[in-house]
Formats: sequence, structure tokens, C-alpha cells
Amino acid sequence: MIEVPIEKKVLSENQRVAEGLRTSLAETGTLSLNFIGSPGAGKTAFLERTLASLPARTQVAVLTGDLQTENDAQRLARYGYPVRQITTVGACHLDARMVEKHLEGWDPAGLDLLFIENVGNLVCPTSYDLGEDAKVVVLSVCEGEDKPLKYPGIFRKAELMILNKVDLLPYVPFKPDLAREYARRIHPEIEIVETSAITGVGFDRWLEWLNVRAARKKASMREAAHAFAGTGSR
Amino acid sequence: MHEMGIAASILDAVQKEMDRYPGYRAAKIGVRIGEYAGVDTMSLRFCFDAIVKDSPLAPLELAVEWLDGEELDLGSLELEEIAA
Repeated sequence: MIEVPIEKKVLSENQRVAEGLRTSLAETGTLSLNFIGSPGAGKTAFLERTLASLPARTQVAVLTGDLQTENDAQRLARYGYPVRQITTVGACHLDARMVEKHLEGWDPAGLDLLFIENVGNLVCPTSYDLGEDAKVVVLSVCEGEDKPLKYPGIFRKAELMILNKVDLLPYVPFKPDLAREYARRIHPEIEIVETSAITGVGFDRWLEWLNVRAARKKASMREAAHAFAGTGSR
Repeated sequence: MHEMGIAASILDAVQKEMDRYPGYRAAKIGVRIGEYAGVDTMSLRFCFDAIVKDSPLAPLELAVEWLDGEELDLGSLELEEIAA
């Protein structure tokens, strides 16, 4: 009997593809965000309002994942930006290869933002790196405040929590303070923005977050390009 | 629900590794799973057993080590010499 250490990630193949995506998006300075939330958390409506609110000349592309139908892509395509539907035909999450495949033929140069709307699910998408810069978890006030405690994985990995549908707060027993407390118990540094895709409340803060992150991504691309030019001239 | 894919990834990794050890068969594969990895161990075992059963790797034992982070890593692989 011999024992050999393997010491690699179970999803090392997914990881390899994700790192490839991350490298190419770093070269173009494209900020990529992976939106994860339950079915019905309002991810698509949130992205629709975001697309409608982006400053003119923003270059953005959207991938949206569902088990079946092109419905979300049709909704998102109304804003004039390139949108592609990924139908997983049963799979409960997107993986890096699906993203890679659906980016084919799109010129990433000049693309400021890539939004990836994952399949509605708080569990499985957590395990699959899509080469994104950050995961954004979308939780709606129609759900329980204790979702962060019940599904800690995604709340731990997400850098930003969108607390969505706050226009419904007068009609539901949801306690936002409690949801914030639970989310911070799981992930003390998580940023939280309360939004409503119907009234637009909170979108100024969200767009500010997006702006800061996109600018940071562009800046690191320029730094990398400078460093490269520096080594080349020596 | 994605445990089937994870089980298949584990088997693929074992199969690849076995190509390097002619004359041996895989007996046990270790995986380390963190509390925040989003993987259900019971479901993973169920899927793993279901697909190992009909694979050339059967019988293969899955040894799960439970950790408290986000790990989803392969550990060590135990090999047995195939009797000549």
C-alpha cells in the first residue's frame, strides 16, 4: 500500500479556465461581477435598472444563466447592450467553461463591465470561480433575515450584499437591521447596499461602488501595461 | 445538487493520477471539505458511490476530512499493488 499526495483543488479544471478568464479580463481592464441569489431575489430586475442607469458610453456586456428559456436575456437586451443567455439545461450553477464559451466572438477590448447573472441558487454557484473580480450576493426582503446564517458560504465569499426590494418593507415583516447583523456575523467586511429596482432607491450608492471598482480595475490594467513597457525597453 | 459534478471531478483526478502508477489500483481517495465550500457531504458520498460503482475504479473509498474554511481540495490517494 502506498499513499500519494495529490494536493490540488477538486475543481482544478474549473479553476484553470477561471484563471484564464481572469487574466484576459485583467488585460482589457474589464470589471467582472458574478451575481448570486435565490430564484426571485430580483437579480434580473436589479440588472435591468443598472443597465438603464449607467452613464452613456459605458461599455457593458451581460451573461445570464438559467436552466431553461431565453426570457432573462430578452429582458436584459432591451437596454441596447450585448446580452447572451446561458441555458444550463438542468445544471444548478454556471461554471467557468460555460462563461468562456459564451464570451466567444465578443471583443473584450474596451469592455468596462461584464455582468454575470448566475442561476438562482445560494449554494452551488458558490463553489465555481468564473474568473470574476467579485461575487455580489442579492438578498430580497421577501426572504428570511437569517439567509446569511443558513447559507454562510456565499455571504462569506461575496464582497457586496444587495438587499433588494426594500420598497416592500412596509408590507413584509423583514427586519433589515437583523439581516445586516447576520451578514456581518458571517463576513464582517461585507459591504451592504439597500436597493429597490422599482423605485431606484439605493442605486446611487450601488453605482458609486461600481464606479470605484471599475476605475480601480482600469488603473491596475494601466499599471500592468506600464510595467510591461518598462521591462520591454530595458 | 452540484455534488454529482464534484464527484465526477474527483474520479477524473483519480483516473489521471492512476496513469502514473501502472501495477497499482486506487483504494482510497481523500478530500478536504470546508464548512463554507457549499458541498453537502452526504450527497457527495451518494453521488460518488453511484458513479464509482460502474467505473473501472470500483471499489474506491472516499475519505472526507471536514474543515472549517472554504476548502474543496483533494488530499492523498492510497494505492494497492495489484497482485501479479
